[in-house]
Amino acid sequence: MTKSNSKSKIFELLLYPLPLLAFVVVWYFATQGSQERQFTFSSPEKVLEAFLRLVQSGELLQNCKVTILEALSGFLLGTASGAIIGLSLWYSSLVAKIAKPYITALATVPIFALAPIVISWFGIDIYSKIALAFLSTVTVAIVQSYQGAMAVEPRFLRLMHVLGASRWQIFRLVVVPSSLIWVLNAMKLNIGLALLGAFIGEFISAEQGLGFMIVKASGLYDMATVFVGVIALIVIALLLTSLVDQLERYLMKWKTQ
Amino acid sequence: MSNEVKPLLTIDGLCFDFSGQAQANEKPGNQILNQVSLTVRKGEIVCILGASGCGKTTLLNLIAGLLTPSKGSIELNSQKPTKRLGYIFQSDALFPWRTVKDNLLLAADIDGSLDKKTLEQSMLQYLSMFHLSEQILTKYPIQLSGGMRQRVSIIQSLMFDPELLLLDEPFSALDYYTKLKLESEFSQFVKERGTAAILVTHDIEEAVAIGNRALIMNAGTLQKEFLIRSEAAVMERGTSDFAEKYREIWSELKSVVGEIQ
Repeated sequence: MTKSNSKSKIFELLLYPLPLLAFVVVWYFATQGSQERQFTFSSPEKVLEAFLRLVQSGELLQNCKVTILEALSGFLLGTASGAIIGLSLWYSSLVAKIAKPYITALATVPIFALAPIVISWFGIDIYSKIALAFLSTVTVAIVQSYQGAMAVEPRFLRLMHVLGASRWQIFRLVVVPSSLIWVLNAMKLNIGLALLGAFIGEFISAEQGLGFMIVKASGLYDMATVFVGVIALIVIALLLTSLVDQLERYLMKWKTQ
Repeated sequence: MSNEVKPLLTIDGLCFDFSGQAQANEKPGNQILNQVSLTVRKGEIVCILGASGCGKTTLLNLIAGLLTPSKGSIELNSQKPTKRLGYIFQSDALFPWRTVKDNLLLAADIDGSLDKKTLEQSMLQYLSMFHLSEQILTKYPIQLSGGMRQRVSIIQSLMFDPELLLLDEPFSALDYYTKLKLESEFSQFVKERGTAAILVTHDIEEAVAIGNRALIMNAGTLQKEFLIRSEAAVMERGTSDFAEKYREIWSELKSVVGEIQ
């Protein structure tokens, strides 16, 4: 049983890279022998060449560092403050009612529309990108956390009332831990949104970062560098997602027992 | 039943409608309980039987202080009840993110004046009383069977050492044999500790097996009272005494259900 399980696990692991390999093979053969197609779509070997060049010059690492710093700072600030605000709204249904249209308004404004304002307030350096990543993530965290706080099972609340718990004790011992799964879901959604916020900031006005690298390369019709930038963004997103998955496994260990 | 002993719980002329309940979803003015009077003495298990929606759970919620009566009074030891009563629900209210031990020691998190060591000692005593191994303390509720979870729930409600236990169909979701075992353990506990319990149930068999008195509730009023036995002890199923009491309660309940239909 265990042997066959581990065999099927190895088989599953071998299957993972197959779609990616298939894509690379199709891409390679589709762009071979045509300068025009290689100019438009680049090709796997040109992307590899650009990757090695950017790694050797240190440009890729430096731009990755900047984008990770911006996105991660905005992600942490936005998710933490959004979770605190969303969970705290449980305390007062009146405040939650008043806050609702404002949160909806903030959530529906495209971040692209806010970018020029934020850049003019915070300048073109890293702070405006952190602010954009923050704005991209804070509303999702507020909405998710508030929904989690309101979805606490009534029997838990009844038990706490019967045991004579104060409102603060109910919040601390029941509302926060039972909403954790909602906060973690917000974190998962916010990884992509934080990268988007930081990227938009870099796209509009920046001197470093992956967004800046991609914009600059596309202006020079250097599609291979654009692809390297896009792949780097995907890798960063996957790494951050796996970090959140680890955190989820740790915090929700009672679910996997 | 002798009236010499002062009742632990006295309910007098209790009425309830949803007119004063800000958070209730019910329509205002809908009379749920009407002139309910009841006394419960120490060491007694009082069973309340009735059709769904007759007001049984509302009565428990009023005693527990989860709802406010529109009229009448509830006194525990001649005083307004404190919130720390034991309340056991139909399905367990164990927090899934806490281990069994942390669930049982919830009392210490709520009341800082309670001594954790004393609570831990009580916890171990209760575990043995309800035939649970200490090994479950490190487990999460999800790892326990339904019967074990309900036992842990009962112990959790006992950690504050309540004088009165409120039970809302606590054994109804369990399989028959686990139910019998738990009924017997619970009855034994009430007898040993001299605590009192109000048990809301649909199950006449359960009421006859462990109750001292059974009350039939219909449309928010207590209609009839049956004395089953004066001491807390499980009545063996299948005996003629059991069958007689069962028939008596069933015929009354049937007439009430008939009236409802």
